[in-house]
This record gives sequence, C-alpha cells and structure tokens, in this order.
Amino acid sequence: MKERARTKKEYRKELEEALGSSFLRRTLDNFAAAYPASRAAALKGLDFDAMASEIAELRDEALPRLEELFDSFKDAAEKAGATVHRAKTAVEANEIIARIAREGGVTSIVKSKSMTAEETFLNDHLEAEGFRVTETDLGEWIIQLRGEGPSHMVMPAIHLSREEVARLFTEVTGTEQDPDDIEGLVRVARRELRAAFRDAEMGITGANFAVARTGTLGLVTNEGNARLATTLPRIHVALVGFEKLVPDMEAALRILTILPRSATGQAISSYVTWITGAVECRAATEGRKEQHIVFLDNGRLRLAGDPVFAQALRCIRCGACANVCPIYRLVGGHNFGHVYIGAIGLLLTLFYHDRERAAVLLENCLNCQACSKTCPAGIELPRLIQEARTAHLGMIDQKPIKNRLLSRVLLNRRLFHKLLRWASRLQKPVVRDGKIRYLPFLFNPRHRFRELPALAEKPLRDLWKGGKAAERKEGHRMRVGLFAGCLVDFVYPEQGEAFLRLLEGRDIHVDFPEEQTCCGLPARMMGEKETAGKVALHNVLAFDPDSYDWIVTLCASCGSYLKENIPLLIEEGAGIVEPPDELEERARRFAGKVIDFSSFMTNVLKVEPELFQADGKKAAYHAPCHLCRGLGKTREPRELLRTVGIEYVPVEDEEICCGFGGSWSIDFARMSAELLRLKLDRVEESGAGMVVTDCPGCVLQLRGGLLKRGSSVEAKHIAEAVADGLKNGEKPGPPAPDKD
Amino acid sequence: MPQHELIALFRKKAEAVHAVVEVVAEWQGAFQRVVDLAGERGGGRITAPGLAPDRTEALGALCRERELDLVTENVREQGDGFILGLTAIDWGIAETGTLVLDAASEDLRLATMLPDIHAALLPARRIKAAAGDLRAEIEGMAGSPPGYLTFITGASRTADIERELTIGVHGPSELRIFIITGDNA
Repeated sequence: MKERARTKKEYRKELEEALGSSFLRRTLDNFAAAYPASRAAALKGLDFDAMASEIAELRDEALPRLEELFDSFKDAAEKAGATVHRAKTAVEANEIIARIAREGGVTSIVKSKSMTAEETFLNDHLEAEGFRVTETDLGEWIIQLRGEGPSHMVMPAIHLSREEVARLFTEVTGTEQDPDDIEGLVRVARRELRAAFRDAEMGITGANFAVARTGTLGLVTNEGNARLATTLPRIHVALVGFEKLVPDMEAALRILTILPRSATGQAISSYVTWITGAVECRAATEGRKEQHIVFLDNGRLRLAGDPVFAQALRCIRCGACANVCPIYRLVGGHNFGHVYIGAIGLLLTLFYHDRERAAVLLENCLNCQACSKTCPAGIELPRLIQEARTAHLGMIDQKPIKNRLLSRVLLNRRLFHKLLRWASRLQKPVVRDGKIRYLPFLFNPRHRFRELPALAEKPLRDLWKGGKAAERKEGHRMRVGLFAGCLVDFVYPEQGEAFLRLLEGRDIHVDFPEEQTCCGLPARMMGEKETAGKVALHNVLAFDPDSYDWIVTLCASCGSYLKENIPLLIEEGAGIVEPPDELEERARRFAGKVIDFSSFMTNVLKVEPELFQADGKKAAYHAPCHLCRGLGKTREPRELLRTVGIEYVPVEDEEICCGFGGSWSIDFARMSAELLRLKLDRVEESGAGMVVTDCPGCVLQLRGGLLKRGSSVEAKHIAEAVADGLKNGEKPGPPAPDKD
Repeated sequence: MPQHELIALFRKKAEAVHAVVEVVAEWQGAFQRVVDLAGERGGGRITAPGLAPDRTEALGALCRERELDLVTENVREQGDGFILGLTAIDWGIAETGTLVLDAASEDLRLATMLPDIHAALLPARRIKAAAGDLRAEIEGMAGSPPGYLTFITGASRTADIERELTIGVHGPSELRIFIITGDNA
C-alpha cells in the first residue's frame, strides 16, 4: 500500500491532491447526492431511531460477554466439525492462517471481501509466504491488481474510473477492453475469477455475524463470491473480529434488517449465507469441508471494556458514516481513513493501526454530526473522535503549543477577555470596513477564501455595565439569562442587540452574567477535556439556573454543546476535583434551561406576525449542524421566518455543513473553502437576497465567503433578519408562559 | 396476510430486484416452462439436484423431449457448462422477495451458483410475510449442523465499477422464480 501522510503538512498535501482530482470529485458528489435518497427509500416505513437503539443495546449487552459468547460459539462450531482459533494480534492471525494453508497443502487461495483481513494485511503475509491469493469481490480484485487498499468499506474501488478499470483489464487479459462496456468488464472478471475459484484449495472470508448459540457464520454479499469461496475450495477459513459475536439468530436477523439498508439502500443484499460447521464438500477427503474460524482480538477485548470507546465496537461496517460525511465527499477514503474508512475509520486507525497516522486523521473532523445521526448502531462518532484526540494527547510527550496556549487562556476568564479587548484595540491598523486586512497567516493564499471580521469595538457584555441594557433588569413576566458565546460577545454584538430589540416591551428581565465565558467547545475539539471540564464548571457557576426561566443563546454550537456536553463533563468530573453531587444536579438544571434563539422565539414567545412588516423579502436558510442535528431543531427557524413574513426559499443541501468547524477551517482551509463554495453556489442559485442562519460561526463563514465573492447576497443571523422587520411603535402583548 | 396478497407482495419485491416471477398451478407446469426456457436459450445441460424421485422422473421426461441433458448429482464434476440450475425452494419471504434454501447439499448449492440461469420453484404455501415469521425454521436449519442455509434475493449483482448496477458478476445473471399454487405443491 502507498505510504500515507503522518504529519499534518504531508496530510494537507494529500488532501489538496485529492481536491484537485476531477473524477474523484464528480464521483463522490454523485454518490453524496444519490445515497441519502436510496437510504431513505429503503428505510421508508421503518423507525430508524428505534432500530438503531436496538442495535446499540444488543451490541452493548454482548460486549461485556464476548468471552462467554466465544466459548459458546466454539463449542457449537466444533461440535459441527469446525476448528476455532483465537489470535491475539494481527500477525498471529496471519500466521495461523498461513499455517493452516501450509498444513493443508494449499498453493492457491481465493478470498471474499473482508475488512478484517484488510486490517491484518493478510494478503501481504500470505503472498510473502508464497501462496497465490486472489480477491474475488470485483472491487477488491481491481484494487488488488493495482496494489491499493480500499477507499470505501462497501465499494472498495469507488475512486476508480471505468477507463482505469478498462486499462487494467486490458493488461490482465491481453485484449483491448472497452471502458464504456461495463457489462463486458464485469464479464472479464467473471471469467477470470471462475478459473481462480476452480483452482483454489482454500477460500478465505470474513463474517458479518458469528452466532454464538449455533456456531453459525453469517455472510452478506451482493456478488455471490462468498458462496463460491465457501463452496468450491476444500478448506474454508473465516477471519472474524470478536465483536461480530451475537448471542443468537434473532440478534443477527435484527442487524441484517438494517445493514443493507444502511450500506447500499437495499432492503436485503442478494445473498445472505449462514454456514454451520464442516459442510459437504466433494473436493475434500471424506467429503467434508475443512473449516477453520479465526477470531481476531487485536485490541478488541480491551476496547470492549473501555468505558468511553467500547461503543466503537458496535460498528456493523455499513460505511454510512463515510457516505454522509462532507469531508469524505471532498477527498474520498484514501485520504479519510487508513484501512477503515470514514468517521469510524479515524477511530479504528488509532486502535488497530498507526498512532501517527491516526493523530493527523483525527484532526480532520468538523463535528458536524452527520455521521452520528446516520449510524445504524448509534455510535456517537464525533464525541468519540474528541475523546480520541484527548487519548492521543495523553500518549505523547509534549502537547502541541496551540493546545497549551488555548488551555492557559481559557482557564482564566479575565485574562481571556482582557486579551480580546487588547486585540480589539491593536487590530485597528489592519482593519478596513470591519474586515481584517493583514494578519500574518493571511499571507498564505489558502486562507484568503473568506473575509475575516474584525473584533467589535465594544463587546456585548459592556451593554450591561450601566449601558443601554441596564434597564433590561426591570421585567417581571419572565427572566432570561443570555449566554452570548465568544462570537456574539466579541465579534457580532449587533446580533445580541437584535435579540434585545425583539424583547423590548415584553416585560422580560434579561440578564448577562458577567462571569460567563467561552462555552468550552474549542477546548473539547482540541482534545483538552480537562480544560473543557473546568470551563464548563465556570459557566455553570456563572448562571444560577434557578434565577432564570430560560438561558437563551444565539449560537447553535454553544447551545448544543451546553445542553449535551456540560452535564456529561461535570458528571465525569473532567478536570474537576470530586464534583459534589449538587453540582451535577445544577449542571443538569442549567442544561435544561438552555434554548436556542429560534426555538425561544417560536415555542416560548410565540412571536406575533402583526408586529412585523411582511415585506416578502426572500431568504435562503442555512441549517447549522449544531441546530438541526445537535439540538434536533428543524421546524422552528423556518416557522419563525414564515411568521415574520420573510419568504423562505428552500435550497438543496441546507443541512450540510458550511465548512466552518471552528479552528478546522484554519487547519484545513482548502477544504473549508470547498464546502463554503458548494454552499454559496446553492444559495446564489436560489435567487434569495439573503441567507439566514442560527449561528454566528456560520455567519462568519457565509458572510466571509459572500464578501469575497463580491456577491449581492447578504448573510445574516436570523435574529438580525427578524429584528429588521419589526414595525416601529408596535408593542407585543405579554409573553405566553409555555415551555419548549 | 391471505395467500394471494403474500404472492402479490413477494412478486413485487422480487421483481424490484430483477427477478422474473411466474405463477403456475402445478410442478409439471413449472417444469414445462423451465425446459422451454432452457431450449430457447440454446439447450444443452441443465442441473436439478435434490428433487423428489417422482419429480426428477417427470422433469427427466420433459428434458428428453427437448433433448436437454439433465444432471442431478455431482454438479462439481460437470464443470461450468450449465445453462440452467433448477432447485425446489424451502421458504419465501414476501417483504423482501427472498428465497430461503437449505443448501447443505453441495450439489444444491452449486446448482444455485454456477449456471447462468437459476430457476427457483417455490410452493405458494411456503411464502411467509417476514423473516421474523421464519425465525424458528431458520434457527432450526442453522442449528442442525453441519448446515449451509442460503437467502437469495434477485440475481448476482455488483456496482463496483463507477457505481453502475451490473447483473451476473459471480452467480446467475438471471433469476426465474416459479410460484406454484396448486394443492399438491
């Protein structure tokens, strides 16, 4: 396999090469458009979330019992004539299989696709031992002939064009192959591989299921090569990860219901094969197959007991996390994984393969949560990726300087805010029209895809220091705490002011607890979990949850992070010495009161259409990842736009990330620029005069890109867009007391 | 679900994955259709292992009329030259159009893999609505070792070259299903 990048610099180069490959881009774009539709069609009428929780539960119950399930499997399979082995490491598994081949007098081996065999680099081992190994899955055969690894767990050769395949098959057959005759190319494979099946004395497969009660292996394929590989040769070896053990057929059938739907949008794959023991085989002595099942540990058994990472073993290898990932869509699997691909691949690289490779890969996650919402086993992939970053920091001698700096600054709220105020004054020479003009890193053309906003002259918090917001403490109907987040506070205070305008005359007390600071998400994203825990505690102490009916935030990222992560961090005691129980309770109450702007306006205030001049402005909407997936809010912002008389113009891919992702957009600027381009192309095609969104981070990205393009489209926070439409002099009635 | 609805659902789902489904009254009628089909495709050798002796005999008679070579055992030795493989299916699953076959016999297995056409004969009364309705039967077949239980849904397929769906990469390129409705099925 080609050497892969192990430093960030090399990795960036790898990514930029992929971004420049027009075939790859076109293929992955088409796939990204086709997959969600076929998945949705296959899931029609089914309760996906309930099914995913069932799979999660089923795996979580099995993981602590893997040894017991293994014993049961071994007992049943050996009674049925199989031989069951266990391998502690990848090398041990390869050696066991090579030994079986030697002792069986094998020269030629056919293989059916197995990610587990990819994990152990089994082919390399067997070939070095002198065996002839032929992959028989069409895609695997193609990449084997090219000496490559798979670029997708289900479609291993998705990165190759028909021309490349035709050239390859021309070499293999010695006759010219027509690239536009795909059926003809497939017939070449059928013919060549039939001969390999005939000659082979051994067939190697993986397994999708190992059913403990009966010692049965379950294999799911579309091509039918696994059936031939387990039927024609006289020896069958299955290499199976320990996590594939399920207690019984019922569990296997349950996973089977969702696996093909999630993988390829099929209700079921063409062939599902259940093999128990040494079946009839006329090529073998005494007419019985020699069957060996090799269970691979390679760190799985330790992982199964890990309180954080065990859920990675729920994976059923459907590949969906890659299919919906905006990063995978840009660069493909060779650049977004190592052997395993997609979000799960980033994690498994750390556990099974190469730490250095894993470290660079793990940084390449936007935390957009498209994967976790699609995972049929409910794996919280982005959270685990953050945890893996933390775990990796613990493995290295010295943390990167940006981590040390960030922690240092975030842990001291006064210092952090003092630095921001200094920066606001110091930036003056480099600011023009509210945009940053010259910053050292902007000399690199990579970063010039968007305009960057200047820091505000006065942060939002200053409005409360005897300023114009002081009187906001007078309201009685409802008490609201405003959680600004760094961007609204120090970059876009006008978004906060728009919110205040919308509350005017509603008899609402609005408070801005001065001790509030960064929500801590940037620290969590960098793997600085202790810092994130301490910052979480700081915010929980800054807001007395009992003093407020609601804690409103205009930032979807802060909102989703505060709601989901803060209670978890405090419960886990990250960075906190023995958190007392009442703190945990307080954190939960705090999180319970957090609400995003659109939900607050729509569900709590139930804003009145008559207060707004419905001038029929057209707006496209960008759904922030952390609103539509993080907080699960999709109805509220669109309803709010309708209520205030803004014409909402739906655009394609509204829920796909804009490419901000905090510091990701600086680390991976070229990728961020591409995601932004895709997003803005759609927005501009829509004909809307503005694009509104619920997150100041998305505003930064969208507005920065639009300004750079010289577009006439404006990017606005939804609070600004809504407040702009307020009629003068109209006063709202008393707020409705309903809860969210 | 009444039987005619099960048949209709099975048919719809199987046809959606490129199987060709015909409903016939009796085995004899299905056999007739199969030998006609093999004849239309140029004749030669067909294989039909594992049928009851009287049915093998009936099929054999039709094959002789059509000058087809019928192989009922040791399929491996006969190589790749089969135009068609005929098997009697154990169960059908309507919601996915799936055939369930206990294929512990090597001949039976190969008859569903090697030929270009797989003719699957499925008694209507053996169609169940969902896989869950067959759990006991499936567990039974998987749990009586050694065993090789196979679910077949449509023909062999791949999308490995530019995601273009192509039929018949390793297994049969045609799946013909004959649902037999008669009382003797």
